[in-house]
Amino acid sequence: MSSQQAESKMTPEVQAMIGVEGDIVEMMGVVDQEYLRRFAQALMDPDPMYWDEEWAKNSKFGRLTVPPIMVSYMSSRIPLGGGDPVTQAFEENPFSDGIGSVKKFGELPNVPTDLVRVVNGGNELELYEYPSIGDRIKFQHRYSDIRERVGREGNPFLLITRETKFYNQDDHLLCITRATTIRR
Amino acid sequence: MVTVDDLLNMDPEDILKHNERPDDQAIRNKQQIYYDDVEVGQELPKYIYRQTPTHLFRWSASIENFHRIHYDLDFALNHDKNPTILVHGSWKQSVVPQFLKDWVSPGGWPWKARFEHRAMLTPNDVLIMWGTVVDKTEKDGMGIIELEIGMKTQDGVESMPGTATVVLPIRGGKEIPYPFIPPQD
Repeated sequence: MSSQQAESKMTPEVQAMIGVEGDIVEMMGVVDQEYLRRFAQALMDPDPMYWDEEWAKNSKFGRLTVPPIMVSYMSSRIPLGGGDPVTQAFEENPFSDGIGSVKKFGELPNVPTDLVRVVNGGNELELYEYPSIGDRIKFQHRYSDIRERVGREGNPFLLITRETKFYNQDDHLLCITRATTIRR
Repeated sequence: MVTVDDLLNMDPEDILKHNERPDDQAIRNKQQIYYDDVEVGQELPKYIYRQTPTHLFRWSASIENFHRIHYDLDFALNHDKNPTILVHGSWKQSVVPQFLKDWVSPGGWPWKARFEHRAMLTPNDVLIMWGTVVDKTEKDGMGIIELEIGMKTQDGVESMPGTATVVLPIRGGKEIPYPFIPPQD
């Protein structure tokens, strides 16, 4: 099938998702030392700013810091008491990829497409302030862009960009992430 | 300091010997780099990794990422038709601010970055996180450094081409504000 013949995946329903934003929601729990420990070890970042309070107190920042990108992953924490979304995902689809159909806290509605494969297409980061241990983090997602491209074999695919702004309890903007997902 | 080109002429086992990722003591002892001292074309220290399946599992667990392509070999092979389980894009994107932070610390700021994910990285690839200064300007009394960044495999495949902007103090100038306030154009 040539690129001219391939059916566009940029349907009116997909187009309508551009600019759709979620509520500002507060993530489960607070920024905590244990999550930071596991994150920093998995990242292999031994920065004493994450764990040495005396060192951090004498730094420019005056206290322990937390990688801003870390709170973007904390926003996926699943609260207790709302059922088990992993089990639910596999009940609905035994071939769940473990991420696409797992309902997350504060997530945007799915983009209505029959493209099932999910690949990370790229990221943008803007950093403004380090989160601190004990912070309560609020965030808001928005579909900032959706574009269609055509692959070498003539099959259209979608580049879906989700922007997320993260704030602390004092409404300080901590960071902005933009994640582009390839759906094909 | 070895260059990226030097590393790509080495065997993978030799590349690993040139990791410049700092330990906690090196971070404590880090001296400030000033805008004045930076030259276009300068390379940043290289961070070198070899992720095993255990590293991948640890990353999935740490951020509660359930995506099966990172730990479920049967799913990776037969559903997504990948060659094996894959290194996380989320891990790569988290290395970027670490890499920038370490270079500008203790007084600079790792402002922003953007990058694409162009190649599948698999366990046991030797990965080289690199950065090169491509431009420098002064704005609002701050030193703005533009970088090209990426993460290459031992075979020279660029898996994460991108750019970044970091902010360094100017020698004898003002401190970089914190929380960070971007310069006005």
